[in-house]
Amino acid sequence: MDKIYNDFTINVATANGTGSQSSNLIILHSMFEMGVPVSGKNLFPSNISGLPTWFIIRASDKGYQAPGDETNIQIIMNKDTWEKDLKALEPGTIVIFNEDAKMPVERDDCICLGMPMTTMARGISPKMARLMANMYYVGGIAHLLGIDEGAISSAVEQQFRGKENAITMNLQAISEARSYASENWGDVSKFAVVARDKSSDTFLIEGNEAVALGCIYGGINMLSWYPITPSSSLAESIINWIPKLREAGDGGSTCAVVQAEDELAAAGMVLGAGWAGGRGMTCTSGPGISLMSEFIGLFYFAEVPGVIWDINRTGPSTGLPTRTQQGDLSMCYEASHGDTQHIVLIPGTVDECFEFGWRAFDYAERFQTLVFGFGDLDLGMNRWSTSGFDYPSEKMDRGKVIRTQEQMDAIPDFGRYRDVDGDGVAYRTLPGSGLAPILYRGTGHDEDGIYSEDPDVYYQAMQRLKRKIDGSRDVLPAPVIREEEEGDVGIIFYGSMENSIVEIDDMLEERGMSVSTCRVRALPYHSEVEGFIERHNRVVVMEINRDGQLYGILRKELPRHLISKLYSVAYSDGLPPKAREYANRVAEVLGD
Amino acid sequence: MVKLNVLNLEKSEYKGGKSSLCPGCGHDQISNVIIQAAWENGIKPEGIAKMSGIGCSSKTPAYFLAKSHGFNTVHGRMPSVTTGANMINKDLAFIAVSGDGDTASIGIGQFIHAIRRNLDMVYIIENNGVYGLTKGQYSATVEKGSKKKKGTANEQAPIDLCAMAVNLGCTFVARSFSGSKKQLTALLRAAMSHRGMAIIDVISPCVTFANNDESYRSYNYVKSNDEVLHIVDYIPHFSPLSEVEVPEGEFSDISLFDGSTLRLETVSEDHDPGDAVAALRAIHEATQEGRHVTGLLYYNPNQPTATDTLGLTDTPLVGLSDEEMRPSAESLKEVNAGFRASDSS
Repeated sequence: MDKIYNDFTINVATANGTGSQSSNLIILHSMFEMGVPVSGKNLFPSNISGLPTWFIIRASDKGYQAPGDETNIQIIMNKDTWEKDLKALEPGTIVIFNEDAKMPVERDDCICLGMPMTTMARGISPKMARLMANMYYVGGIAHLLGIDEGAISSAVEQQFRGKENAITMNLQAISEARSYASENWGDVSKFAVVARDKSSDTFLIEGNEAVALGCIYGGINMLSWYPITPSSSLAESIINWIPKLREAGDGGSTCAVVQAEDELAAAGMVLGAGWAGGRGMTCTSGPGISLMSEFIGLFYFAEVPGVIWDINRTGPSTGLPTRTQQGDLSMCYEASHGDTQHIVLIPGTVDECFEFGWRAFDYAERFQTLVFGFGDLDLGMNRWSTSGFDYPSEKMDRGKVIRTQEQMDAIPDFGRYRDVDGDGVAYRTLPGSGLAPILYRGTGHDEDGIYSEDPDVYYQAMQRLKRKIDGSRDVLPAPVIREEEEGDVGIIFYGSMENSIVEIDDMLEERGMSVSTCRVRALPYHSEVEGFIERHNRVVVMEINRDGQLYGILRKELPRHLISKLYSVAYSDGLPPKAREYANRVAEVLGD
Repeated sequence: MVKLNVLNLEKSEYKGGKSSLCPGCGHDQISNVIIQAAWENGIKPEGIAKMSGIGCSSKTPAYFLAKSHGFNTVHGRMPSVTTGANMINKDLAFIAVSGDGDTASIGIGQFIHAIRRNLDMVYIIENNGVYGLTKGQYSATVEKGSKKKKGTANEQAPIDLCAMAVNLGCTFVARSFSGSKKQLTALLRAAMSHRGMAIIDVISPCVTFANNDESYRSYNYVKSNDEVLHIVDYIPHFSPLSEVEVPEGEFSDISLFDGSTLRLETVSEDHDPGDAVAALRAIHEATQEGRHVTGLLYYNPNQPTATDTLGLTDTPLVGLSDEEMRPSAESLKEVNAGFRASDSS
């Protein structure tokens, strides 16, 4: 049979809480181990046990990481979604199912491969049979695709590190399943894996853990947090790394962790930490930002540094708590009442998650303001490849803090909010220093921080704040631009859409469209973004939400002559972006 | 001759700006007591952080301790800002002022959780039973049947912040009256000498909206219905005898964290501040009789504070060098290597 190597999508349908995550990660990691370019996406429910969950594994020599347009191999273990999962399949799909489910498999047009998984698992451990049954589809897949036994072993060992008994039992299960499949199914799969050269440097990591490590290397002093999907693993990862990496000479920690009573308090603690001269941070998701909004305005107006990571989930309201979206961009950019504007850093890779993790604190202290990290569930909770994190290339920027009387004396006409350098950023002193103390306030204040309702004082203060944030544009990460010579169509996108852009680009090329791309990595947007739009005739802003939030921001801030070049492709169904969906919409909106 | 405190500072070093509150406001008397207590206790003004929320009371940090940094935060959410600042600089002496709208309504959650963490701070509630800045609406602490100058009597049951604090295990709970300067000063000095969460609920009449005799929080009403638990005298650790006349009759002494003493002289019957049940009984009995019980209601020293349980390094985190905050390049190599090893074991 002619094989299709390293180009297929597997979908595993299970119920959550059945241990299937281990099986899925073993498939993923064993393929990664062989050097197969592979990505995994976990579509899980907001539930502890018993609701449907799907895991999508995509192998692609072209490096495509979006979920594929169709499923090539479907594993069905969950009775609740059995019929629906089967019905959705294209003819010719390989279906692996657990015969012990005693469910009908009426798809003669598919290649249906059954195995008595629970019965076989009972042979190894009657007590664990329900969980162990999932390991049998790993063996089935390993047979069909030709995954190396060595790669399977090391993936199992990694998954159950240190638990010898579990390693033995699971390896036995996989081996039994492989034999069963070989004897009963035969060589029926046109899909297969083939080993590729794998850089020995690469490993897979979740975006949330990459951010966490970035924060650790960014000198985080205080983490306040309130549990919320999908950001909790970010906080928990920081907590996990503190004892390993942030111990002082006396054995004490250099980062305080407070589990707050709610998101409002978590934001208040970050504010207090920044005011006191520390590097405070919290992480949350959209609902948390809504709750924090009052404090966010105080950060802005009183000019206190702080960092909030928003790991987006699908809104509005409670929304789809375990699904992904880029739905919070305009909220983060302009959170809180009155005229406000905040710095937003938007990583698109796990390397950038790490880098922006530490840079966020530098920007916050340099500009004396709140900085958002903007992630999402897809980037944050799925595993992505990196060849290792780079050590911060710059020293910490602690900003304009006056720590001694000498420094104070060197500044003519000091005032907490007086723009002596002309860059909109004033000097500050810290509580406890005794230097130029003031009562910080969220009420109107003059350049000395004294309460004022004077119209001109208010107007000037707001103009300076605007100037200050504007001044960050070209300091923040520049966009990543891949430019074609033609210069007709440009695509602007951001964040986790990075994982789909190559495939989208290829699909558009198949249609005869040659597009340049520009990945925005921060707000307020860099001047190079404007340059990119200047150089193209038509520019599509592509994003994972309904309303086109970046499109809206660009329309508001771009010079008039550029606005008419913009088109919006905004789409969100809760799932990670499928390349075809966006490629079709781009073609449609441009009328090509 | 100008009087100096133990740090050789004049009292003027502890003063603030001019008050913009209504003439005769109880809050201004409390501000004066804060100035007096901080000066007498010899606390370095620059070592103090003044915290407040929003409301008449929360404006007052502008009127005392001008040499201290402060933060007039948002409505009811001052405790979380204090928590964050405390994590970064545990050496700061936090003196917070809040109102009954701030503490008993919008900020009740943060108040409760600050107590739960035993945040190392003095938390003064300037409690007048009304929202003054918005022109005199009832707050949640006002007694059933109490009536402000305009409108009808309050029909809802009050939240007693001291009873709540005792129930939550707050380590220092006192109630006083803005008109009782001596008692309030002694209690505040003791609170400043305490390590952990010290709450003083101060009945502070609103002269504009609720100082009529039918208000349970008017001067006249409180004056004639103040049930004093004990006479309190503060004996500072740096001059144990000079400041206090040794009282006649029965008394008991309470040792405070900084070595100072609070002397409680019995008025009618003994109150044991170590007994939470006795504290609650005193509060509830007084409430039933329409009276206000004042004094040190509850005291539970030597409890771990919010920062104690976190295993932090001794240096306040604000004093750490960049090198102490950023792990080495070598360590990141090990982190990367660790991930690589587990991905290709």
